[in-house]
Parts: sequence; C-alpha cells; structure tokens
Amino acid sequence: MIRCISFILTVLLPLASAAQASGWGSVGAEPEPKGFSWTDPLWPEFWMAWTPATLVVFIGIFTAMAVITVIEIRSPGGAERRGILGLTTTRGDRLFISLLGSVYIFLAWLGIVGTPLWIPLGLAMLWATFCFWKV
Amino acid sequence: MKRDYQKGWFFVLPVLILVAFNALVPMMTVVNYSVQETFGDNIFFWQGLDWFEQLLRSDRFHAALGRQFLFTGMILAIEVPLGIIIALSMPRQGPWVPVCLVLMALPMLIPWNVVGAMWNIFTLPDIGLLGYLMNHTLGIPYDMTQNPTAAWITIITMDVWHWTSLVVLLAYAGLVSIPDAYYQAAKIDGASGWSVFRYIQLPKMKTVLTIAILLRFMDSFNIYTEPFVLTGGGPGNSTTLLSIDLVKIALGQFDLGPAAAMSLIYFAITLLVSWVFYTLMTKDDAK
Repeated sequence: MIRCISFILTVLLPLASAAQASGWGSVGAEPEPKGFSWTDPLWPEFWMAWTPATLVVFIGIFTAMAVITVIEIRSPGGAERRGILGLTTTRGDRLFISLLGSVYIFLAWLGIVGTPLWIPLGLAMLWATFCFWKV
Repeated sequence: MKRDYQKGWFFVLPVLILVAFNALVPMMTVVNYSVQETFGDNIFFWQGLDWFEQLLRSDRFHAALGRQFLFTGMILAIEVPLGIIIALSMPRQGPWVPVCLVLMALPMLIPWNVVGAMWNIFTLPDIGLLGYLMNHTLGIPYDMTQNPTAAWITIITMDVWHWTSLVVLLAYAGLVSIPDAYYQAAKIDGASGWSVFRYIQLPKMKTVLTIAILLRFMDSFNIYTEPFVLTGGGPGNSTTLLSIDLVKIALGQFDLGPAAAMSLIYFAITLLVSWVFYTLMTKDDAK
C-alpha cells in the first residue's frame, strides 16, 4: 500500500502535471489570441486563402497600375520613347518589363542560390530603375 | 483629348469584369496557394517560397519542362514550313478554293479529346488500323503504348494533323492579300520561283506567320487533352508534358501548393515568350 502511494506521489503526479503543462486536458480550449502575423490566414472562412503578405503584393501591383493610370490622365501619350533596347515603350510597357524581369530575377535566385531574397530584391529594384530610366 | 473618346471604355467594361472573374481572381488565388500548404477543408499553413525552391531544383520539373520545349520546338519546326508549303500549293481562285478551305478547316473542328481518342484507336498496335498495319502486315515494330519513340512520333503526328491547318489558313490569308501587280513585276524581271517566295510572298506573310507561330506556341505549350487521351503521359513518363505533370500534382496527388507554384512558373514562361513575340510583331509598326 505504501509502495503504491509512494509510486503515485513520486512518478505519476509529476508526470501528470508535466502533461498538464504541455497542453494535455486543454484540447478543446480556445487558443490564446496571437498578435498580428504576415503569414497567418487573413479570412479563414473565405476560399481565396489570403494572407497579409500576398495581399500586400497585389496591393503593390494594383497601386503601381493606378499610379501610371493617374499619370496617364494627367499627361496623356504614355511618355512614348525609343529606349536602348531598340524598343518603343510607354510607361505601362516599362512597368510590365520591370515586373516580368523581377519575376525572373527572383526565380533565378531561388533556383540557383535560394532564400533569403534580399539581394535579388535589390537587383529587381535596380532592374526596375534601369527600365524606367533607359528602356 | 476629346471627351467622346473615353466612352469606349464603357463598352469594354463587361469584358473586363468577365476577365476579372474568370482569370484575375483565380490567378490571385493561385498566388495565395503557391506560398501555403493545405490538407483540404480550406485550412492553410504558411510555407513561404519552399515550393518554388523545391520545384526549380527538381529533376521531375526539369524533365517535364525539357519535354515541353522539345514538343513545342518539334511541332513548330514541322507545322510552320509544312503549312507554308500547303498554302503555296493551294489554288488562289476557282471552284476548288472553298473545297480546299473546308478540307483544311475540318481537323480543327474536331474536339480535342476526340482527336486524342481517334489517334489512340488508330494507332493501338493490335486493333488500330495503323498499329495493326505496321506491326502485323508490314512487320515494323510500332507500339506507342510501350515504346517512347513511337509514342513521341504519334503525339507529334497527331498535333501536326490537328493544327497544321491553322498555319495553312493564316498563311493562305496572307498570300491572297498580295496584289497581282507584284507577281507581274516579278515576271517582267524574270524572277525565279524562289525569289518570288523570298522577296514577295514571305515578307507579305510575315505578320500572319508571326501570329500563327505565337498561337501555335501558346497552344502547344499549354497542350493537355490530346496527349493525355492518347498516351496518358506514358509509357513511363516519356510523354508527360508540363500540363500533364501539373494536373498529376494538383489533382492526382492533391498537392495544391506545389501545383500552384508550378502554374506560376509555367505562366511566367508563357508570358515571356508571348511578350517577345508580341514585341517582335509590333516592332516594325512603331517605326
């Protein structure tokens, strides 16, 4: 009997409290509300699987399109010119070439080097600057 | 700028809304999927750029991409010259013109899965007309269900049969638009047949040919139904083109994340090549 009690006191009770501490018995409990995360689902019930990170990407692209639309309304004609690649480009073309080029810069970096992507981000910005300046 | 000019946008609006719902919204969803993992039930876990990294380094993707470029390159190399030759040999006037045009248009009227099924039945080694003739009558081993080379020959022939007509019709449209005066001038100068083709017909066909190459590139690069019905990507993986592999990953393995990443890379390639073609096409107009 004493042996049984001492077994419960020395082995089972500490184990049970350890289990409690590691989350046993709280399966049905509401998780603690976490702070904002860029990578958590934004609207879990909605089917498009948005996250803040991907939303920002699209907001960026649509903002860029909106900006060139506003510039186009202010000064129509698209600022057409013949760049150093021998192509006649408007502002929209230059934005498109910048974005498409950036996609390839990121993909190439991911394939050859991997993450993180700070260096290709710099390269993509240089490429975009080059596109708007010279192409 | 005149105000009336802006009204045109309202007429385009329905199309823009339609495109937004059938292309843009799904496209944005694909981007969202490509950085997450899901086991169904609309529950997603962030995965970052892992799928892209894995895919860009995977032998399976490289092999499928290589097969895709090989397929597209081969069918372009066959269909474009063949289409021009057929268009050049078609009558320009007389009662045979509509007959030729209808005959040319026939393969394109057949639904894609039916084309695949037709060629499958036609080339099966034991019951197909061609398969039986080759194997049992002529004694030439030809089994597209077992032999990768035979499978490739079959899908290439099928595509050539199905789509050369498009090149023919476009090239023909370019040819009939050449005024007679050009040919008469060439005749007076004593130009050879090759010179007429090189300096009159080919330049006049340039625009339509570029459109033909662009259309054939995009269609063949995105081809799915015909080779899937014909060979199912086999034998082994030998005719698993990019889209067949994509569908296997997305719907067979239900790996939506990697499939979404693959779709985006696929899209980037198609977009780049189409842009290059479009730029080449419109480069001369802008001068």
